[in-house]
Amino acid sequence: MSNIAAARIQREFKEVVKCDEAAKCAIKVEMVDSDCMELRGEIAGPPDTPYEGGNFILEIKIPETYPFNPPKVRFVTKIWHPNISSKTGAICLDILKDQWAAAMTLRTVLLSLQALLAAAEPDDPQDAVVAKQYKEDPQAFEDTARHWAQVYAQAPCNNPGCSAKVNQLVDMGFTETASREALSMHSWDVEKAVEYLMS
Amino acid sequence: MSVDMNSQSSDDSDYDDDDDNEGDMYDYYDNDDHEDGDKPENKYDDPEYFEQESLSVEQVNAFLDEEVDKASKTLKVSPTIAKVLLKVHNWVPSELLQRNAEDKTNLLVETHIIPPPCSKKAKLTGPPSNGMCPVCLQKTSVDKLNALACKHYFCKDCWTMHFCVLIEDGVSTGRSMSTSQIIIYQGFKLSSQQSHFQLSFCPGPGCDIVLKAEQPAAKRAICTKCNNSFCFKCKLHYHAPTECEVIKKWLTKCRDDSETANYISAHTKDCPKCSVCIEKNGGCNHMQCYKCKHDFCWMCLGDWKNHGSEYYECSRYKENPNIANESVHVQAREALKKYLFYFERWENHSKSLRLEEETFKKINQRIEDKVMKNAGTWIDWQYLLDAAALLAKCRYTLQYTYPYAYFMEAGPRKKLFEYQQAQLEAEIENLSWKVERAETTDRGDLANQMDIAETRRLTLLKDFLPH
Repeated sequence: MSNIAAARIQREFKEVVKCDEAAKCAIKVEMVDSDCMELRGEIAGPPDTPYEGGNFILEIKIPETYPFNPPKVRFVTKIWHPNISSKTGAICLDILKDQWAAAMTLRTVLLSLQALLAAAEPDDPQDAVVAKQYKEDPQAFEDTARHWAQVYAQAPCNNPGCSAKVNQLVDMGFTETASREALSMHSWDVEKAVEYLMS
Repeated sequence: MSVDMNSQSSDDSDYDDDDDNEGDMYDYYDNDDHEDGDKPENKYDDPEYFEQESLSVEQVNAFLDEEVDKASKTLKVSPTIAKVLLKVHNWVPSELLQRNAEDKTNLLVETHIIPPPCSKKAKLTGPPSNGMCPVCLQKTSVDKLNALACKHYFCKDCWTMHFCVLIEDGVSTGRSMSTSQIIIYQGFKLSSQQSHFQLSFCPGPGCDIVLKAEQPAAKRAICTKCNNSFCFKCKLHYHAPTECEVIKKWLTKCRDDSETANYISAHTKDCPKCSVCIEKNGGCNHMQCYKCKHDFCWMCLGDWKNHGSEYYECSRYKENPNIANESVHVQAREALKKYLFYFERWENHSKSLRLEEETFKKINQRIEDKVMKNAGTWIDWQYLLDAAALLAKCRYTLQYTYPYAYFMEAGPRKKLFEYQQAQLEAEIENLSWKVERAETTDRGDLANQMDIAETRRLTLLKDFLPH
């Protein structure tokens, strides 16, 4: 790792730890290995969104050419969001791609991701299925996103309706993850989800 | 008679520089002037005629510098800025001048030469007073920090690193931090040449020649250094009469599905009930769909229940072979059939052309044999090589007529095209036959056939080559 990158990361790490947002438990970073190439980030689901109360874990990989190239960030926690892949956690956000600037920091990246959770861009989707649902059936999207946040990101306030449907499919012999994905893709229509799982 | 004269004269030129032309299969492509020597008006008649010149790297740089110089004088800006502006406009000066006259400020903002006016952020005025570079966080003296017009100050090392990363990523003028200084890089020069509308890089392996044409078009460009022939516009193999977009579509299609489609067409049918694609890899004609368990006859695709005891043969199919075509998937298969029809012909000619070198070797061998047997002199037999070169040229054009026909809409124009295509094909086969069987030094018949084939080729190109 180059000197600039190491110096920057150590400094940015301190910045995140000391910042106001960390005090409010909104963002957090941890070192994964000693040479700072890989970090673990955590952001809280923003209030008044389906992600509220959830804790989302991020994998942050620092490239050799940091800060001239952006860090590679991915959601480890499964999340239902138009700009984040529901399968891989890959993120579609301009500042992590061509709009990155060397003056940005880990703190700004984490805050931008938090902002992305609050304001999705369904016209520039990473996950087309989610984006379609977001635009065509906002209620189903909100239910799904909330349900995923509860199951994967430990958000409170259970939505028994969704869990019951997942259990219904699990009883039929499908795995829980597959059942949840099928139901989410089909806006919780049990019949369509079963059809999808059978095909 | 005139035909004889032509071949006579081409023979003469062979005489002059025979080491150059001997066995050269691109004879016809390279030395157009030697063929057109006696009819100069051909330059304007020839639908394939394309004026071009080959430039070395130094010549290209000189040419670009000249353009930059002109633009910088007209616009009264520094040559560096003129270069950036020209590049954005694909080096078409008229477009740049017009844009410059219309709204100069926006032009400069868009090309990142000046920062956008009154940005919402607090105006930055000077370097940070503590002398710390905000990128590497190293302290240095204030006077060592540099900034562009946007007044974001960074240290020299960080600027350098930033440029290196951007150039590696192929971004040279896209970002605000990267305008003027970057031009010192060779990488920028390269991308400048690629964007100039009159220039085209020779795609030949390891070739550094740049071709220049006053009027760029999708015509055949020939590199004088490596003899590579390619389309000036898209740099693929020359593809007249097909257009650049069409040939791209065709090649993508061929890459995508020729093999799979071939196989599916030859070995599979769709289940008449659930439409799943079924491969019959043996056994009798009584099929049971693995998915919906429907029993049907492989030949007529009818229900097996009505077949009674004729286990191995289908009488319904014998009476009316069209019965199998009445399925709903007929359309898809028809489309596939159409594609395969054109693809087979395309592939066939392409294969023939790949064997070209061998054909030339064989002809040379035959000429040697004949000369050894005292059947004419070596010079007498050279016309065969000319004929083979012309044959290759005609075949090449014919090959590229198939994608054109495939994407053409049905109508009288397609009928005309296919008529001419068929005529060309027939003459080419004739010529091919005659070249293979030429036993005497009497070239009259063959020369006649060459003329007919070439005329057919030119007629087709004249009618259908987009101008």
